[in-house]
Amino acid sequence: MDEILKKRRTLQETMNFMAALSAGIEPILGRGANSMTMSAGRKLGRSFSAKAKRTEDLMQAIDEVRNILEANNCLWGFEPFKPKSQGEFVTYTPEGDAQLLLVFRDCMIRQALLRFGHPQQGSLCNMMYGFFAGALEAIMGKKATLEIKHAGENSCLKLLTVKM
Amino acid sequence: MLEMTIHEKACRGCQLCLDVCPTDCFTFDEVTQKAQVAVVENCIECLSCSFICPSLAISHKNHHQVKNFYRNIEFSRRMEKFL
Repeated sequence: MDEILKKRRTLQETMNFMAALSAGIEPILGRGANSMTMSAGRKLGRSFSAKAKRTEDLMQAIDEVRNILEANNCLWGFEPFKPKSQGEFVTYTPEGDAQLLLVFRDCMIRQALLRFGHPQQGSLCNMMYGFFAGALEAIMGKKATLEIKHAGENSCLKLLTVKM
Repeated sequence: MLEMTIHEKACRGCQLCLDVCPTDCFTFDEVTQKAQVAVVENCIECLSCSFICPSLAISHKNHHQVKNFYRNIEFSRRMEKFL
């Protein structure tokens, strides 16, 4: 038990360290901090998805991203969401881009940092955008963006847009 | 199944829950001047409404609750390889 408690504390401190790094670079680099974490996330997404199954279908691609995260012990689950009034999960913009709402419940920021005062929608959150962009680029061969629609205390709502 | 309730007597009709909800779960009753749960199926369990409500009138049941790293033994075990 002592060993586990020690590991928990170490993990929490690692996240605190990451938060300090993120909070430190944001005032200096400004929007550049987001580009930096986005780029790091994209690289991670690409390398994790190198051997993933290729598909053109957005829902299948999302399942593949989930498998990739789980296979790498990243237990930051997400699920597609649609409002009751909406028929299908995937909608299309007038330009023809596919859009899908995603709900994120557990994530490293909310689990480790929110209660320690680390703000949401910062450069660390932007890393997940990068991860999705990189993973979907590798799986679907298309550009993607992940916009944070709402950052809540217990879950976040994000809008995934894939350029078709 | 998620349950969301608004304590009718506690609601002050400030409409902060309507403003904060990203999926439009609430409506405002003009007659009683109180918020009502309209579409509970739209709730993503972000709990922003219950956090923002000044009179703590909104409560949720049967929802997923985020656990902190330092409290979650299972998570710590899975994350060992990163330490």
